[in-house]
Amino acid sequence: MPVQYAGIIKEHDAVRRRAGLFDLSHMGQFWLSGEMVAPWADTLTVNAVGTMKPLQARYNIFCNEGGGAHDDTIFYRLATGWLLVVNAANADKMWKLLNERLPPAGVALENRHGRRALIAIQGPRSVEMLQPHVDLDLAALRYYFCAEGRVNGVPAVIARTGYTGEDGFELFVDGNEAARLWNSLLIVHQTDGLEPCGLGARDVLRLEAGMPLYGHELTEAITPVQAGLKWALKLDKPDFVGKEALVQQLERDEYSRIAGIVMDGRAPAREGYPVWREGRLVGSVRSGSIAPSLENKNVATALVAREAATVGSRLEVEIRGTKHGATVVPLPFYKRAK
Amino acid sequence: MAQPQDLLYSKEHEWVKLDGDSATIGITDYAQNALGDIVYVELPKVGEAIAQFANIGVIESVKAVSDLFTPLSGEVVEINGLLENDPAAVNRDPYGTGWLLKVRPTKPGESKGLLSPDEYDKIANQ
Repeated sequence: MPVQYAGIIKEHDAVRRRAGLFDLSHMGQFWLSGEMVAPWADTLTVNAVGTMKPLQARYNIFCNEGGGAHDDTIFYRLATGWLLVVNAANADKMWKLLNERLPPAGVALENRHGRRALIAIQGPRSVEMLQPHVDLDLAALRYYFCAEGRVNGVPAVIARTGYTGEDGFELFVDGNEAARLWNSLLIVHQTDGLEPCGLGARDVLRLEAGMPLYGHELTEAITPVQAGLKWALKLDKPDFVGKEALVQQLERDEYSRIAGIVMDGRAPAREGYPVWREGRLVGSVRSGSIAPSLENKNVATALVAREAATVGSRLEVEIRGTKHGATVVPLPFYKRAK
Repeated sequence: MAQPQDLLYSKEHEWVKLDGDSATIGITDYAQNALGDIVYVELPKVGEAIAQFANIGVIESVKAVSDLFTPLSGEVVEINGLLENDPAAVNRDPYGTGWLLKVRPTKPGESKGLLSPDEYDKIANQ
């Protein structure tokens, strides 16, 4: 996946207004099967796997004992097993981790990384553009659910998931079919304004939509609690790796946390820039970009001390030695009209 | 792509247009294309003295921060105020409305060390 095709802003705008096509085949895909998958996965993850309905998709995080994140992932519950999609940069780490924790019986793992492709179509017109290519009614497919069907006659898992803040679908197909599917969708929908999109646009879109990116808002040292992902924690599960640390962190409520900030001026806040409040260093920027969906304001996420993270709090971001004013705002920065 | 013939160039992909005791400076079409969507330009202040090939500011695209160098020594006499609200002018028209700054050169001999359009063309098309 390149950083860009026609340009990050052009690609971003296509996704917000029409649709964009993403080749996400670099992401890790693991196939989990056996009657013990759900109870086993529930001990390794913060969200619930066992309560997922057939053909449901669910965001989930694997934590370390300290509550930091090994990876954030999506589980897809299919008819004969579970598809687990992990971040590309974490695929080797996660494959090793799953194998090390494998129970003596009841779970089989298959690494499909590099053999199965993932193509996403994202944007308000994705239903309309994708519908003629598939053998099921896309309008009936609910958000965060999936179906096993065909795309251009090829067997596919079709999921209504994505990472852009727009409606859209992710299509899992055999790697040998990827190029043909990619080209077919682009050629057929060129006149509809479907744009191939790269990593750059994906990062801007997910940042606007307030979605964490592993390595930025979530790391081995930054916990889901700090990242504002408390909604994904199922603390009523009897136990899971990292639960104790996360519960303690929540109870003490002293942790530094991810805040959304909007810069006053035109200088972009970038990863690593120091963040100040009333003359005191309170944290640093984790992700930053111009936000075309917010009238080109500069937005960022910053990991800051508790008192600095309150909505409305005035902060300063140090950019090349000069402090630039910014305000804490609620996340997400952008929400699509429904 | 052929380079505009009335300009001189630096290896750092800046262009200079000499006009009496004023020199207009910008970045080349090759540079703007390589940078992608430009979202912010930080330039020196009017009156500041700048030295040839020194870092005088930054140009930021959506993804990256790049240093800006001056091809000539001089005193800054004007900066392109349009870029504050429309930095994308550098993408649209790098040799026209997307110029960056004007300087009064203080070392006229320096322009001999810059590249001709043909010489720059070889670098840009490598």
